[in-house]
Amino acid sequence: MRVCIVEMPSYTYAVKGEKLLSSRGYPCKIKRNISASPGSCGYSLFIYKDVKNAVAVLEQYRIPYTRITYGGE
Amino acid sequence: MLINFDNAATTFPKPRSVRKAVSEAVELFGGNAGRGGHPLAMRTSAALYSARETAADLFGASPENTVFTLNCTYALNMAIQGIMSGGGHLIISGMEHNSAARPAAALASSGRITLSVAEVFPDDSRTVEAFRSLIRKDTKAVVCTLAGNVTGQIPPWKEIAALCNERDICFIADGAQACGIYDIKMSDGINILCTAGHKGLYGITGTGLLISDGKYPIKPLIQGGTGSASLSLVQPELMPEALESGTPCIIGALSVKAGIEFIRQKGMDSIRSHEERICSRFIKELQAIPGAAVYREPEASYVPVVSFNIGSIPPEQLAAELSEQGFCLRAGYHCAALAHASLGTRNGTIRFSPSVFSCEEQAAALANSIKNISGSGKYQKNY
Repeated sequence: MRVCIVEMPSYTYAVKGEKLLSSRGYPCKIKRNISASPGSCGYSLFIYKDVKNAVAVLEQYRIPYTRITYGGE
Repeated sequence: MLINFDNAATTFPKPRSVRKAVSEAVELFGGNAGRGGHPLAMRTSAALYSARETAADLFGASPENTVFTLNCTYALNMAIQGIMSGGGHLIISGMEHNSAARPAAALASSGRITLSVAEVFPDDSRTVEAFRSLIRKDTKAVVCTLAGNVTGQIPPWKEIAALCNERDICFIADGAQACGIYDIKMSDGINILCTAGHKGLYGITGTGLLISDGKYPIKPLIQGGTGSASLSLVQPELMPEALESGTPCIIGALSVKAGIEFIRQKGMDSIRSHEERICSRFIKELQAIPGAAVYREPEASYVPVVSFNIGSIPPEQLAAELSEQGFCLRAGYHCAALAHASLGTRNGTIRFSPSVFSCEEQAAALANSIKNISGSGKYQKNY
């Protein structure tokens, strides 16, 4: 399964993003980054469905992120 | 047996739920929050966020603007020095604790800011006018306690906050004596709220909160590890981590969460009414003692704290005698140079401050002890 990995700048925003997306029906999970990412806090939001809209929700609510990548789960 | 009437310094005992939370935190949340991806770190991170969310919710703030600090003094220093780092004019009330007055005075004496002190009167309209008259074009911030720590007087802080909000002046509130018994919200006009976690919020010592509405960026006093942007030598700007360098007191934060849940369950109005009843009973008993001076004015409002003196008995001596009988009260100057100067209490006062766990009978027993000490003939009656 292809997942969207949204690297976060802080753990606080990772949880805030996770709660926001989960409450709106976008399944996601906080996980530790697998590869080094200098600008990030080391945690990413893994989004499993409807990625484009989910990212739009993060942006709408001004949840900052450092990078978006895609990977398999 | 000890009877604690020094709850304005720190509440004791702590609720059972707080003690349990501390024990659980030591046993279960032994990782470092926001650092690492192993299960201990992950569950500790989630627990800390949950505490942040609870504290934010109590004050109507957002979790990212809710910073855990070591105590209220740290929060006030971070707020005052962080907001005034670029200079400007600062106004503080004449009732401020040294935790606000000293950093303000230090900035002023180093020439980095100009400082004015607004007198607090029993008449609220005079107090508001005192603040209004001091505001200048370069006034950047106002620091005002929500309740004084010596007499418990409540200044008209909502009106003072409104004055600030109209003029884009940062309103910094010291909530150490008010939070937990009043439902304080950021929407009351507060830009930065600093408070203790270990007083009315019933957390353990070594806990405090700085809560911002996000309008005024706070320059960090301390730089260091935040768990984020680790390869950069520049301190990240994102709150709350920007102001939480180093490992936070996770156990303390979880105790504050349990404390907040406790006061919410009890109800802040109910806690306040209970403590006010005890204060009223104590004042009534005190007034029957010859020479008793209670530092309250009829037109002013107070939190459940009573400052008093008995004739010419030195407050420290009275407190020492009471402590021999098991009563814990704080005498002296209460780290509040401005308030005592304003009261004219050169030898200080003795302060009575109950908690949700105190009762009227204890207050009556204390008053009886004071009466016996005062009437023992040991002290000269020159009142």
